[in-house]
Amino acid sequence: MTWIESLTLNSPSGFWNPIVWLAFLIVFALIGYLIYSRGNRSYKPNTDQVKPFLSGNEVEDVEEIRVRAGDIYWGFIEALKGYYNALMRMHTGDVRDYILWYLGLGAVILFVLVGGV
Amino acid sequence: MGKLTNFKRSLWVFHASGGSCNACDIEIIAALTPRYDVERFGIKLVGSPRHADVLLVTGAIPRDFADKLRRIYEQMPDPKAVVVIGCCGTSGGVFYDSYNIAGPIDEIIPVDVYVPGCPPRPEAIIDGVVKAWLKIEKLEKELEGKKG
Ligand code: SF4
Repeated sequence: MTWIESLTLNSPSGFWNPIVWLAFLIVFALIGYLIYSRGNRSYKPNTDQVKPFLSGNEVEDVEEIRVRAGDIYWGFIEALKGYYNALMRMHTGDVRDYILWYLGLGAVILFVLVGGV
Repeated sequence: MGKLTNFKRSLWVFHASGGSCNACDIEIIAALTPRYDVERFGIKLVGSPRHADVLLVTGAIPRDFADKLRRIYEQMPDPKAVVVIGCCGTSGGVFYDSYNIAGPIDEIIPVDVYVPGCPPRPEAIIDGVVKAWLKIEKLEKELEGKKG
């Protein structure tokens, strides 16, 4: 068994050998470089030449124009603004606050259910 | 002007319409119809300046469009050429000195070929594009010279 064979991992669906993988990587890197080297040399990086074409309009920062998953609910949140504003203020992300809410509401429910008796 | 000698690829053209009345644009389209059929020479309209060799501009340019035209020009890869179609873009035409016009096109971006007329005939437009082709060929040779 040669040292290359000793590196081969056989499995029922094929084999894996890091040397073969490396050889493929080198071949594809070479093909990639060949394509790259045939590219337009006069292209100017960091100018408008590399920016997407938006009918001549300025391309805004991606952060400004991206659509987030939460934006799907925009109409909903806009319509129930008053309710959501209050909820969002309460939603601090601090687990101690949530436990406090849990205990407080638990106490209220307990009082309503058994407190009056 | 000289002969086309070493142009190795098709000429792709981007058309930017400023404040044109649309007649110049219709004549550009006429150049693509079966009667003139410029596509048989490999001249083709493309949808993005980033793929274009030549920029065709029609109309006097309204102030709001000037920065967009500049950006379109900047986005074209080198070597590139600009052809102005019609009197509006060449001199301002009927809109000459109008308050809302940013000026003739050569005051906004460098222009290589002017095709006068209101509107010019498709033959004149094709002639203009061929002149731009020659110019690009020259620029290409210069670029190659720099490379070698
Ligand atoms: S040059 Fe004449 S045809 Fe062309 S856009 Fe101007 S007014 Fe219209």
